[in-house]
Amino acid sequence: MADGEGAKFARRDVLKQIATVAGTAQLAPAAVATAATAAAIGAAQAEPAIAPTSAAPTSVPAPLAGYQSLSLDEAAFVEALVNIMCPADHLTPNGVDCGLAVFMDRQLAGGFGQGERLYMHGPWKKGKPQFGYQLPLTPEQFFKVGLAAANAACRKQLGKSFDALAPAQAEAFLTQLAGGKVVDERVPLGAWFNELVYPLFEQACYADPIYGGNNGKVFWRMIGYPGLPATHQRDIVTYRGKPYPGANDPKSIADFS
Amino acid sequence: MATKLNKRSVVIVGGGLTAALLARQLTAKGTDVLVLERGADRRDAAAAKLPSQRDELRWDIRGGLGQDWSVETYTIRHNPKDESFPTRRLAAFLPGDGLGGAASHWNGFAWRWSEYDPTLRTRLETRYGKQAIPADMPIEDWGITYAEMEPYHHLFEKLYGLSGKAGNIKGALVPGGNPFEAPRRDDYPQPPLEPTEAGLIFKAACEKLGYKPFIAPSGNSSGTYTNPDGMRLGACQYCGHCEKFLCEAQAKATPETLLYPVLFTRPSFELRQRAHVLGIDYDKQAKRATGVRYLDLLTGEEFEQPADVVVLAAFTMTNTRLLLLDGIGAPYDPASGAGVVGKNFCYQTNSAVNVFKKDWWINPFLASGGTGITIDEFNNDNFDHTGLGFLGGAGISANLTNGRPIGNRRMPPGTPRWGTKWKEASAEWYAHSFSMQAQGSSYPHHDNYLDLDPVYRDAFGLPLARMTFDWRENDMKMSEYCTKKIAEIAKATDATIVGPAAPRKSPFDTRFYQSTHVTGGTPMGADPKNSVVSQHLQHWDAQNLFVVGASVYPHNAGYNPTALLGALALRLGDDLTSYVERPRML
Repeated sequence: MADGEGAKFARRDVLKQIATVAGTAQLAPAAVATAATAAAIGAAQAEPAIAPTSAAPTSVPAPLAGYQSLSLDEAAFVEALVNIMCPADHLTPNGVDCGLAVFMDRQLAGGFGQGERLYMHGPWKKGKPQFGYQLPLTPEQFFKVGLAAANAACRKQLGKSFDALAPAQAEAFLTQLAGGKVVDERVPLGAWFNELVYPLFEQACYADPIYGGNNGKVFWRMIGYPGLPATHQRDIVTYRGKPYPGANDPKSIADFS
Repeated sequence: MATKLNKRSVVIVGGGLTAALLARQLTAKGTDVLVLERGADRRDAAAAKLPSQRDELRWDIRGGLGQDWSVETYTIRHNPKDESFPTRRLAAFLPGDGLGGAASHWNGFAWRWSEYDPTLRTRLETRYGKQAIPADMPIEDWGITYAEMEPYHHLFEKLYGLSGKAGNIKGALVPGGNPFEAPRRDDYPQPPLEPTEAGLIFKAACEKLGYKPFIAPSGNSSGTYTNPDGMRLGACQYCGHCEKFLCEAQAKATPETLLYPVLFTRPSFELRQRAHVLGIDYDKQAKRATGVRYLDLLTGEEFEQPADVVVLAAFTMTNTRLLLLDGIGAPYDPASGAGVVGKNFCYQTNSAVNVFKKDWWINPFLASGGTGITIDEFNNDNFDHTGLGFLGGAGISANLTNGRPIGNRRMPPGTPRWGTKWKEASAEWYAHSFSMQAQGSSYPHHDNYLDLDPVYRDAFGLPLARMTFDWRENDMKMSEYCTKKIAEIAKATDATIVGPAAPRKSPFDTRFYQSTHVTGGTPMGADPKNSVVSQHLQHWDAQNLFVVGASVYPHNAGYNPTALLGALALRLGDDLTSYVERPRML
């Protein structure tokens, strides 16, 4: 995949990112507590009766720099993908800045990507979709094989790598992928997108930020998920049918670590 | 070579709920009990402590508490003549792995089943005639009655400190409770949990339609509670991390919270962790189990553990598989209908409808596993099936159990799957929507069964259990009927958007979570021709071998299986106490 193909949307330059870490980093809320005091803090948080808003922060901390699994070319695809699936808008920064690419990379490099908890004995054969994943590849391998096949199909169809497409073209290509319309002779690209890439995307948005995505709890803030410590014995009564103030300022695992 | 250990009195395979309950009865009388558990005690693990407990990705999405599919999975096919495939990362149901088993990561619903469930064949034949049960539906009576089980239900509920509201005390209906409830001697040990906003909206709609909604009985503790053994439950925090999680507040009734700590103080009890049972030693001539073989997962050593009595108290699938691996009892053959082991394999026929309204504040994160408002009008045989063309039914509920954001954001039909509009819909509806569910019965079918896979093996080289399962005509008709009922309730709320009513349809899909309530495979009964174990859970072909768990259910109802398991296990504990003194066919 050539770099000089005139990307229409920002592909994050690794060096640039490293240079801006210090400038853009916004410190996480200083809610530091031990597990033992978590309940007390939870109760205290519930006190101020502030109506939740769906306002997103204008800036989030810089995502983690550097990839453990993805090559720069693979990263270009993934970054383009997450920026299409999560464009910068009034709700969140773009997917890369939300940490979505880093999340996927870390998952692929970690236990999940390496096939943890996955039954990996043959024989291998093609089954009905309802029987689930049946390839002799770890999720990381499948991710990369699918990425290469999707990119090849993209070049064949549109004459450009996926990361060089204009946003509208990229969007249309993803829609085709999701609909099983992009076909590769050997790689089941519909299942690749819908059963591997898409779940990783949703997880990247909504998992606890300790995994690298949902940077600055931006997605939790967006929907009003209050996160931890979730000691709601009184809240279930007090806020039944009413806005929950804690939804304004979600707390994550790092805030209690 | 396996090292032979000293003989023990009662050896139990699997350290879950049923093992703990029957060990409680046995060790109270000083009987020697050894429990072999493949997993570990996790009470001090990251899964059971803040803040790591509140990690949706680790415990829910990645299934951190469940069975490790790389070691052992199941294979699946839809029909007896099809080729099977291993479910390489099963999502549909979640066997546990560790002390407490699946009863540790449960949600908490704790139902007594219908009074007629143990005599379902008689009930249906009496009500609809001999021809009412199709030939391909091997519904059977269980060989027990509800009245026999009632004292054990009562004890289980006291031990577990259940929260709920009685609907039927000694035959007198109690307003606000379940009018279809089997008669109980008294109210639940604790008052019900607080309802959610979703539950109250559902309740109002049900009342508008003339139904009698009630709050479901639950093992999530509505207050602080001390059980008859002196064990304590904390009050539920409505944290929305119940099913698929351990409870850090000791507010969810589980074996490791309420039962094992008592057993650890009893001199005749031993738990051996990380002991993976490979098989049962069976003397076919003498029709006796002589012990079990297990692998020490810490050292890799294999042991032979002789026993006077062996009890299979593992997950549904494992109980059946162990019998098949060692050739104990005749395997079921769907072609001829002969044999019994693996028969009556059932699941849970579920469906749901989503509802949305912008000025509702549902706050889905303020929830507990067992906080549900339910109606029982369309469950099982609680309604007249004349002319309907199916048997069975579903409990219909608004069971809002959590607002964990990866898996529990509802969006109106037609919402794009990504992009700004997707984000807008997520933000717009997350706190303003909920789901109404049908938890449907699953009656046995001739072609739904378990056997050993001829090709695929586990990490120790043993054949995997093979599921032959699909939603059959009866399941689909039942689901269609009950899903329409949910849609009617949904429309009776003031929802501005009602999602599609999608009944359960063939083919069975292993890729998404539906329920951990797989049942059958070692059905109980009074007749060895159609059951694996007797009404006392004693194996017909090995007098000193007993099987307990949902594997003994001849059918699955529209109720969660746990409380009935508890009652059966306590009764087995008493039966075994007597058996150990005087071994015989009970």
